[in-house]
Amino acid sequence: MSNKPIIQLKQLTKSYQEGSKRRLVLDQLDLSVAEGQMYVLLGRSGSGKSTMLNLLSGIDKPDTGQVIIDGTDISKMNEKDRTKYRRDNIGFVFQSFNLISTLTAFENVVLPLSLKGNDPAESEQKAQFFLDQVGLGDRGGSYPDRLSGGEQQRVAIARALAHEPKFILADEPTGNLDYKTGSMVLNMLSDLVRKNGRTMIIATHDREMGQIADQVLELREGSLHAMDALSNVAEQSEQDQFSQSVGSSHATESTKPTQDINETESTKASNE
Amino acid sequence: MSRHHHDLLWQSSLRFLLQHPWHFLLSILGVALGVAMVISIDLSNSSAQRAFSLSAEALTGKATHQIQGSGDFLSDQVYRDLRLTAGYRNSAPVIDGYGRVQGFDRTFQILGVDPIAEGPFRDFSSQDGGIDLAKFITGQPTAVISDQVLEDLAKNIGDSLQVSVGGRPFDLFIAGAIATANQRSQQALESVLLVDINTAQQLFDMDGQLSRIDLIVPDENLEAILASLLAGLTEGTRLVSSGSRTDTLSQMTRAFELNLQALSLLALLVGMFLIYNTMTFSVVQRLPLIGRLRALGVTKSEVLSMIVKEAVLIGLIGTILGITAGIGLAQFLLGLVTQSINDLYFVLSVQELTIELIPVLKAVTLGLGATLLAAFWPAREAAEAEVSTVLRRSSSESRLAQRLPSLALTGLAVGLAGGGILLFPNGGIIAGYSSLLFVIIGFSLLIPALIVGLSVLIRPILGALNGLIGKMSVRGVVTELSRTSVAVAALVVAVAASVGVGVMVDSFRVTVVSWLESQLQADIYVQPPSAVARKADAQLQAELVRMFKETEGVASVHSVFSEDVMTTFGSSNLVTTSLGAKASESYQTKEIQDGFWEQFAQEEVIMISEAYAYRFGIGMGDSLGIMTDKGMQSFPIQAIYFDYASDMGTITMNRSLYDRYFDNRAISGLALYADDKTEVDVLVNRLRDRAVGVQEVFIRSNKGLREASIEIFDRTFTVTVVLRLLAVVVAFVGILSSLMALQLERAREHAVLRANGMTPGQLWNYVITQTGVMGVIAGVLSIPLGLLISYVLVYVINLRSFGWTLEFMVSPSLLIQAVGLAVGAALLAGIYPSWKMARANPADALRSE
Repeated sequence: MSNKPIIQLKQLTKSYQEGSKRRLVLDQLDLSVAEGQMYVLLGRSGSGKSTMLNLLSGIDKPDTGQVIIDGTDISKMNEKDRTKYRRDNIGFVFQSFNLISTLTAFENVVLPLSLKGNDPAESEQKAQFFLDQVGLGDRGGSYPDRLSGGEQQRVAIARALAHEPKFILADEPTGNLDYKTGSMVLNMLSDLVRKNGRTMIIATHDREMGQIADQVLELREGSLHAMDALSNVAEQSEQDQFSQSVGSSHATESTKPTQDINETESTKASNE
Repeated sequence: MSRHHHDLLWQSSLRFLLQHPWHFLLSILGVALGVAMVISIDLSNSSAQRAFSLSAEALTGKATHQIQGSGDFLSDQVYRDLRLTAGYRNSAPVIDGYGRVQGFDRTFQILGVDPIAEGPFRDFSSQDGGIDLAKFITGQPTAVISDQVLEDLAKNIGDSLQVSVGGRPFDLFIAGAIATANQRSQQALESVLLVDINTAQQLFDMDGQLSRIDLIVPDENLEAILASLLAGLTEGTRLVSSGSRTDTLSQMTRAFELNLQALSLLALLVGMFLIYNTMTFSVVQRLPLIGRLRALGVTKSEVLSMIVKEAVLIGLIGTILGITAGIGLAQFLLGLVTQSINDLYFVLSVQELTIELIPVLKAVTLGLGATLLAAFWPAREAAEAEVSTVLRRSSSESRLAQRLPSLALTGLAVGLAGGGILLFPNGGIIAGYSSLLFVIIGFSLLIPALIVGLSVLIRPILGALNGLIGKMSVRGVVTELSRTSVAVAALVVAVAASVGVGVMVDSFRVTVVSWLESQLQADIYVQPPSAVARKADAQLQAELVRMFKETEGVASVHSVFSEDVMTTFGSSNLVTTSLGAKASESYQTKEIQDGFWEQFAQEEVIMISEAYAYRFGIGMGDSLGIMTDKGMQSFPIQAIYFDYASDMGTITMNRSLYDRYFDNRAISGLALYADDKTEVDVLVNRLRDRAVGVQEVFIRSNKGLREASIEIFDRTFTVTVVLRLLAVVVAFVGILSSLMALQLERAREHAVLRANGMTPGQLWNYVITQTGVMGVIAGVLSIPLGLLISYVLVYVINLRSFGWTLEFMVSPSLLIQAVGLAVGAALLAGIYPSWKMARANPADALRSE
């Protein structure tokens, strides 16, 4: 695992016009994300987590500041280049799964590979491999509406990983799932991400998720705050005693989560 | 970019369309109906044109020039002088006219020729063409007819054939059959009856007369030969090129055809609204899906091309279906178009539909073009949508709300531009229709703002009548404005088009009825059957005229005669009346010189119809040159009268003046006045009895003729009425479908309402009230647009096409019908979704995918 920063956010500011007022969502935010690390981004609803992910993925542009991915500032790119950058470098996992309803599970996983321009035979092989990895190798022909929520999210995970993106963005990946299915899906996600050496940022309001992270950050009032003792994330945050503004220079290295994620890997989600 | 991922996107598109078969089918239906209307009109017009040109080609043969008389007749002395004295051998005498052959309900062109002189002219009528002189010229009346007709009649050579010319029956012996070797000549000759010149003179009562002399003037020495021919011509005869007559005839129907085409394009415009409507639905419905694709890295241009590809698919299927349906429709319209041409212009027999490449290509271009044009904005909307907003919901609504003022202003500007186009003098019909298009588009752009405005008015009313559900229904129309406004706009345009055409036909009819009332002053009218309903092209026999004048109970009589004469402006219809100064009672004048009627009776002045004045840009005080038997004469125009019988226009002169310049004493119609003691019906029967065995003629009372004229009028508008009905059907289907789609689309919202305790009955109420509100808004808005359309049709397009002044007639029942149509379609559209939702388990709709 290298510690080379793959993502750098510099002085990132984003605000929205709401009626006659302007609401500042991200305020001069700095962050450095090391390659191969797993980050959990905590925050209440409306704290700007999704906005930050949108900026990271090039879906949206910042008002000011830079989004540097692998040395390239994507905030300077035009819309088309940002789209292509996203297609090649990012895997998405959404709260509401966002599978393409008109494509089968298998085709959903193939899609990013073919968008990237990969060889069809190779794409299909990879798609099947990742579907097998999420335990849905035999459900490839099913359309999303025939799958349970847990299964849909597992397809989304396979889709996010299949085209070997530089990093994966997950927005409340378990938000639409029950506790048990959610934990299973989360463990599968983190396990596969680690196994494939990917970098991942998970945005969530669920503080427990901090347990699987290498680094936990909290977004409050437009700024990022590092949380250091992972097992106590919840308490710490509630008491709000260790909050400090973090910049790329003092993002701290942390230990790996202790939970055994391999245990859940083969567990198949039950139909809801 | 790989082909592979395009395949996946395309598959995704295709599956989406198949998952929404309603939308898919309706889009296809929109294109298909529009295309079917355009191609059917085009094909029936082009089939009529082709039949016309084939028959003109066959009958003209190799003739390059013709010698004609001043009117419809030419003395056969001219031919004898030319052929025998001057020795011009490349000449052939011709008599042509129309008659009916028993066993067919179509008019035949009777061509009288001299088979000996025919050789160089026409293949089928010469000895070389297989005419057996010994059988053909026997002193008996004989005829030759195409083998196909012979087969249809189940007759053989030597049998007799019953022919009726101008109401007089004749028996002709079939002397031979014209072998039609190919499809082309079969089509050209299917309604030709060939007789020898003497027989033709008997049939048409043209002793010593010809219709024309055909000539072949070789290209070398053309000028010299023409000059010598001209020098030899007597007063009242003229030399014209063969093509000129054909050109004049084919130009007659130009405005008629153009108007039909414009009507069919109007249907395509309505079709385009349907396509736009369904494509917009399809895109709006898919915005979340598009957002996901965009988030995964599908570019804007890929989204655009995906939607455009869908449009091409819809356009292609719709066009193919439309062409197929259009060909079927054309078979039906062909009969109506031919009937109208026969009633209004000239005799034309079209037996079959010819499918030419150009109308088909035009239909493909229009079908695909209209679909792409209609799909362009929804496709761009889809591509331009920001991924971040697309991942959220209802961004499209807020965008439309922001654009309302600018949309309305653009609409106003486009509408005014449409009005501005009319200010161009001599803009022609095309400008008239362009203006109409601008007005329609401009008004459509105003519709979203008008819906918001009308909702403000309707909301408290429905609130009082239907409580919260009433208010919710109106509110729903406004909150989903981007979808509802398109559906309402489509409904408004369709209903308005129907109102516009309806008002135009009504205005026309009212004007014609009141004109007929003043025109028809006599008690009884006598006419021979004529080949063209609106033209008196046959004559009454002198014997019959004498008998009728002397019939007991007839107080007074006046006669009319109509023929085509050569004027400064080419061939024109000249009507002569023996009314003299009494014509003032029958003719409604638009412009008139003081003391005109006395001058009309005694002096050398003429009057022209409004359409004639408009067509040739002449008016009061101008002089019109008319070729008479005493040579070219100039007559001052001292009055312009209203006349709705012919869009070609007519010239009217008093009979005494005509007799001074023309040798022809023929009469084509009689008007009789009954004396005080005699009942009109009694006199009609008396005249009918006397006509038996002399000539078959129509003897009609004033009322009878008026009814017959109105019947012909209505018949000539059948195509228009059929097209209008089809446009209404297109509209009805479209509206039904788009409103239904809109409601089906809201299944989730309805499920939420049901889950929150709305009973199936209340849901019915909610959905039906909402579609009803949209129907009412559309109905109300279709009236001003419909009136605008009819105004342009009546005062601009009719005037520019035909030069007619019409009374603007709006019948309240038509407007009520329009609103009823809109509301009815809207209410019907609510039934299926209400029924479906009331029966469905709300849980199914609430479950996310």
